[in-house]
Amino acid sequence: MYKNQKPVLIIGGGMSGVTTAVEITEVGKEVILIEKNPYLGGNVVKFNSYFPKLCPPTCGLEINFRRIKQNSRIKYYTSTEVQKISGKKGDFKVKLKSAPQYVKNNCTACGKCFDVCPEERPDEFNYGFTKTKAIYLPHEMAFPYKFSIDDEYCKKESCNKCVEICEYNAIDLSAKEEVFNLEVSSVVIATGWKNYDASKIDNLNYSTSKNIITNVEFERFIASNGPGQNKLLRVSDNSEPKRIAFVQCAGSRDENHLPYCSAVCCSASLKHALTIQQLYPNSEVKIFYIDLRVAGRNEDFLVKVQDNKSIELVKGKVGKITETEANNLILEAEDILSGKKMKYEANMVVLATGIVPSGINLNLNKDQNNFISDLQSEGIFPVACSRKPMDVSSSVKDATAAALKAIQNN
Amino acid sequence: MNKKIGVYICSGCEIGKSIDIEKLSQVASENNVTICKNHSSLCSVEGFDLINNDIENENLDRIVIAACSPRTKTEIFNFPENIILERTNLREQVAWCYEPDEEDTQMAAEDYLRMSITKVNNIEVPKPFIAENISSEILVVGGGITGITSAIEGAKAGYTIHLIEKEEKLGGWLNKLHKQIPYRAPYDTLINPEIKDRIKELGQYDNIKIYTSTTINRIDGQPGQFEVCLQNGKEEKITVGSIVTSMGWNPYDASKLSHLGYGKSNVLSNVEFEELVKNNPDKALPKNILFIQCAGSRDKDHLPYCSNFCCGTSLKQAKYIRDLSPESNVFIVYKDIRTLGLYEEFYKEVQKDDQIFFTKGEIEEITEGNNNLKVNVKDTLLGENISLSVDMIVLATGMVPAGTEDLNLNYRLGKGLPELKYNFSDSHFICFPYETRRTGIYAAGSLRAPMDIASSKEDATGAMLKAIQTIEATKRGEAVHPRSGDKSYPELYLDRCTDCKRCTEECPFGAYDENEKGTPLPNPNRCRRCGICVGSCPERVISFADYSINSVSAMIKSVEIPDEFEEKPRILVFVCENDAYPAMDMAGQKGLKYSPYIRVIPVRCIGSVNKVWISDALSQGFDGILQIGCKPGDDYQCHFIHGSELTETRGENIQETLETMMLEPERIKTEFVEITDYYKIPDIINNYVEEIELIGPNPFKDM
Amino acid sequence: MIEISPDIGFKKELKRISKSSLNECMQCGNCSVVCSLAPDDKPFPRKEMIWAGWGMKDKLIGNTDIWLCHQCGDCSTHCPRGIKPADVFSAIREISYQHYAKPKFLGKILNNPKWLPVAILIPVIIISLILFMAGTLQIPEGPVNYSKFFPHAWLNGSFAFLWFLTIGLGLIGLRNFRDDMKKQNPDVKPKGSFLKNLYSIRKEIILHTNFSSCSAQKTRRIAHFLVFYGFILLLFVTAFAIYAVITHNYPLGLTNPFKILGNVAAIMLFVGLGIMITNRIFNKKDFGNSTYTDWLFLISLFLLTISGVIVEAARFLNWQLAYHLYFFHLICVWFIIIYLPYTKFGHLLYRVVAMVYAASIERRLK
Repeated sequence: MYKNQKPVLIIGGGMSGVTTAVEITEVGKEVILIEKNPYLGGNVVKFNSYFPKLCPPTCGLEINFRRIKQNSRIKYYTSTEVQKISGKKGDFKVKLKSAPQYVKNNCTACGKCFDVCPEERPDEFNYGFTKTKAIYLPHEMAFPYKFSIDDEYCKKESCNKCVEICEYNAIDLSAKEEVFNLEVSSVVIATGWKNYDASKIDNLNYSTSKNIITNVEFERFIASNGPGQNKLLRVSDNSEPKRIAFVQCAGSRDENHLPYCSAVCCSASLKHALTIQQLYPNSEVKIFYIDLRVAGRNEDFLVKVQDNKSIELVKGKVGKITETEANNLILEAEDILSGKKMKYEANMVVLATGIVPSGINLNLNKDQNNFISDLQSEGIFPVACSRKPMDVSSSVKDATAAALKAIQNN
Repeated sequence: MNKKIGVYICSGCEIGKSIDIEKLSQVASENNVTICKNHSSLCSVEGFDLINNDIENENLDRIVIAACSPRTKTEIFNFPENIILERTNLREQVAWCYEPDEEDTQMAAEDYLRMSITKVNNIEVPKPFIAENISSEILVVGGGITGITSAIEGAKAGYTIHLIEKEEKLGGWLNKLHKQIPYRAPYDTLINPEIKDRIKELGQYDNIKIYTSTTINRIDGQPGQFEVCLQNGKEEKITVGSIVTSMGWNPYDASKLSHLGYGKSNVLSNVEFEELVKNNPDKALPKNILFIQCAGSRDKDHLPYCSNFCCGTSLKQAKYIRDLSPESNVFIVYKDIRTLGLYEEFYKEVQKDDQIFFTKGEIEEITEGNNNLKVNVKDTLLGENISLSVDMIVLATGMVPAGTEDLNLNYRLGKGLPELKYNFSDSHFICFPYETRRTGIYAAGSLRAPMDIASSKEDATGAMLKAIQTIEATKRGEAVHPRSGDKSYPELYLDRCTDCKRCTEECPFGAYDENEKGTPLPNPNRCRRCGICVGSCPERVISFADYSINSVSAMIKSVEIPDEFEEKPRILVFVCENDAYPAMDMAGQKGLKYSPYIRVIPVRCIGSVNKVWISDALSQGFDGILQIGCKPGDDYQCHFIHGSELTETRGENIQETLETMMLEPERIKTEFVEITDYYKIPDIINNYVEEIELIGPNPFKDM
Repeated sequence: MIEISPDIGFKKELKRISKSSLNECMQCGNCSVVCSLAPDDKPFPRKEMIWAGWGMKDKLIGNTDIWLCHQCGDCSTHCPRGIKPADVFSAIREISYQHYAKPKFLGKILNNPKWLPVAILIPVIIISLILFMAGTLQIPEGPVNYSKFFPHAWLNGSFAFLWFLTIGLGLIGLRNFRDDMKKQNPDVKPKGSFLKNLYSIRKEIILHTNFSSCSAQKTRRIAHFLVFYGFILLLFVTAFAIYAVITHNYPLGLTNPFKILGNVAAIMLFVGLGIMITNRIFNKKDFGNSTYTDWLFLISLFLLTISGVIVEAARFLNWQLAYHLYFFHLICVWFIIIYLPYTKFGHLLYRVVAMVYAASIERRLK
């Protein structure tokens, strides 16, 4: 049915990239999906749950990975980035670079190498709060399900312990990076987002206070496969916090940081508050906000939070956080509705940081905030958070729409 | 045809150390397989070649690979489509979760191999259902911006689109707009309504057929073959492959908002105000205009939800008031200003105007003065209650989905699309926003969720992709999401059917129609292959080529039940393959240990478990039956919408069966897990095994 | 309940003077939090910002909090919407000088560059008139002796008269200001006398404690300290000079302790003003917008100081231009002393009155 037999290139294997990929292939066209991490799933695979259903992201990803596994029209390359795109719609030439694939695809993830590896690395999957070996399985649900080696921490042939133990000859420590060229018909950019660097918000003292974490870190903290293993523990002393405060718009809607609203942080914090309440019904949660931006049907979710007596919503931006000797945190805000300045001593603080586009090293039209404009030369389609901040549901919607754009006139 | 089965046992990944492979191989020979081989690493090139050569040389048509979980190494174990492949999960579900070299571990491995061999003996390669005359044309219902966008995007992809609109004119609400919100930078200027351009664009495509003043009398059929009966003065019939519905929304009935002044003179809804300006752009606007946000929205007595567009719309209206009328003051009283994402820039632009005044607040009272309206507002940001004297009030009313009843689907389960909440036709809106319970019919725009123009256009494009995808999958005889690519479909032996209608009622996707007697009329292209009908049928009428009452019953019967003096209970565990099965895999990967007395049978959906399997298991001597499915309820995680919910309701029925068999009700238990609940698996299993051990052995054992 | 009737003109005036945006405020309250002075109850400047945005002039003129702000600029630095509440407050104060000015025209001509020539011409004419009446409107012969040009009796008499006059007029403005403050706090009854309350805030005034909490600009406290005490010292020395004219052999010699004190005061002023002016020119980011009124005040004070020193030098060095410079110096003195209630110098009065009132209603700064 398609005149142009060339596949569609999708840059970024997060929720959006994966969605675009499966949606295109299930129409019948071929797709090449590249991802810079050694695993697919992007940011969402690190999340504990989605709002408003409080359901695990891996549930939907499992279905999508199954769709990838059984579909021969989809090819994916992990640890791979795009270097150059030339040509025009229908006839793009792309240059891709794959990091050295020290662990080959025949790895069975049996885990023996992990036991013998002597080197440790901070686990970026857990934002460095835990350590893992230099050879590691990115996470339980990793897709592709195989180990990976951290170039920076592995001692390579001088150690060689993993090579010796591997029964399947799956490790090649002399692997080199590979550059290869492909011809594609169109390009979907699904490079996604990272959260705003909270250390730049100096009056919130994120970098100096251990018990202040960001919202994305919170997701890992509370996850069953995260550092806390379904518990919320303070970094300073591993105690369970009794009073937790959420700081909305931490760096968002702020011309000194991100001038825009990130669209997800309000709902995310409500979700976090409910998660805390489920785990610790006796805890006290305060959410400091400017506007509660819980749009559409998610309003129900807000009502659920408002009905919870242990969660208090305070209209007022937190202007200052100071740490006490007990590593508690004193938040200062004006409670706008009562017109009173207040101080609240929390055991733990979560900063609702916003969405920053991940960026891509290609010559594309971008706006002043580095989001990729949807006005590109024909055949190139930015999608989801690479073009504006949005939640998962909207990203998937956008990704599905991009799937159609990418196969039109093809 | 002779069944030629090859069994391949892998000893890698600790399987060989945990299980006596030689002994296990005997199970295969006892079961009359053609070939049984073992290998230290079946997923290696040599391992694959070993199997592949045997397929070619020995004409094997059924392969059992006893190795790792079927969720892994799928790209390696990729055999021709005419080969039945069964993966026995010896790694995650035996070697990694049980003590090595123990009798119980060996027994589990042997049972699992027996079950696999039995299964391949009892299933066939699915032959896809490929209907004749599959239409590649697409119907788009509703000619507003969503429908128009959908039509254009579909036409661009080369499909013929039938766009129908019940009004005389295309364009819907957009025809009534004076200005539109800018949806990309620069945010400082409002854009002119785009509808004329869009309608003009429609005309550029020969493959778009437009029907105005047209309604739908009836839609019959299934994806690839929808027979649509249109009414346009006369009846007209068209055949389409799939449908996008974009009937849009209606404004919330402002007459219910008398507490906000509606009914008083100069109190308008946002829609009325837009029309007023659109029709009389030169008419002088009053000096003081008040916008009341969330008028009848976020309100439990009216619309409990937020309509997503009203903040932006009021900002837009405020902006053009100021452009048209430099003397006017605009006051906006809000609950929260919800300009999400980059719309924040638009909010900021509108704020820049010196004569637009914002405050959060609650309207306390509105009274009519001589020439004006006096509005008292409490809980404001100004530190006290305020009183505004205004000449006009605009109520920012929300949207109510138009509903899909007008599709007039001739379906057993109703004329429209099922609704999730507040009449929005939606389902798994987070991961799969286009999940539909009427396969091949996709809701787009405000019908699905409250959304603005930009968002509706994105939604329209996505829905069109799904409509196209359904047609292409139907041509291949494949299921669409979530069992994408599945070529099996339900086959009915209607001779035994008692017309009980359970399948027609319980199918979440409305795949079954009924004749006047109540006999099910299957529509395979509507089917999503969940197997819930298999579970619903008391007469075992419904089966898939590779998933049937018989195949599972046979698997159950193939398990060797130790007699009661051995004190080794047996628990049959039906596990939903979507979430619970991966959770069990992860438990194995994590090395979590649990009772070896269980025997797991993966099912397509926990709702596909038939009562017969349960009585078979009890007759066979299983001491208990555990069903593990996805979470039901308002926030259901069941991939087939209400499969796990059905399990709960069917539970009562099953309890009666237990009573008639004089068995304890505890012998059947249902648990719901999330995919990340792998760490709970050992407790769920061990606790149940303990519970069963306390009750004692099944009296049917050895009978 | 307050009736809303936005004063758009006032709002525009605020924006013009402060050069700050106003409308983009989203009422997050960040400014109130980062302000180290704002009290816990009804803190500023968040509420003032919405009043300003809504053009509520009556809420802002006669508002105590406007004068409790010491314009450190922390709120402006941290505002997520790029608004400068500190500058808006400063603009409100500027408008207040005009609002309470008696006679009104003086408030007007001193806060608008257009009227600057008139503002200068008034003292030129009046001083010339006095000199004419004294019969000394000419350059005297011989060694420089300013009393030959402007006899002490005429000088002290006329300036003292005019000063008392303006102070009197200023007091009317202050009384109106105080009444407005009372009106805005109908529920609170002020306690204690003016002097008692003034005494209670002596520490803040004497030690400038309110400046110390400012984090954005550390040098401000020192600069204000130098100028404040330099000026008081100079007033003291001047008062002594008037006394000395009667009892001593005037002019005083360079070694006279009072002369030394006077020169020390001049140096203090010079250094303090230097810091202020440099900050305003080179560190706009932290010090905010400088309005015409800011500059008029700083420059006139600076010219007063520098002309005073030059006039003194001219006397000792017997410069030909000494009398011209002296005339110029007198105009500077006029600008500072006689125009006090109408220029930024008025903050000395308004701020003290506001602080005393705040003390009387127990509105304590942090």
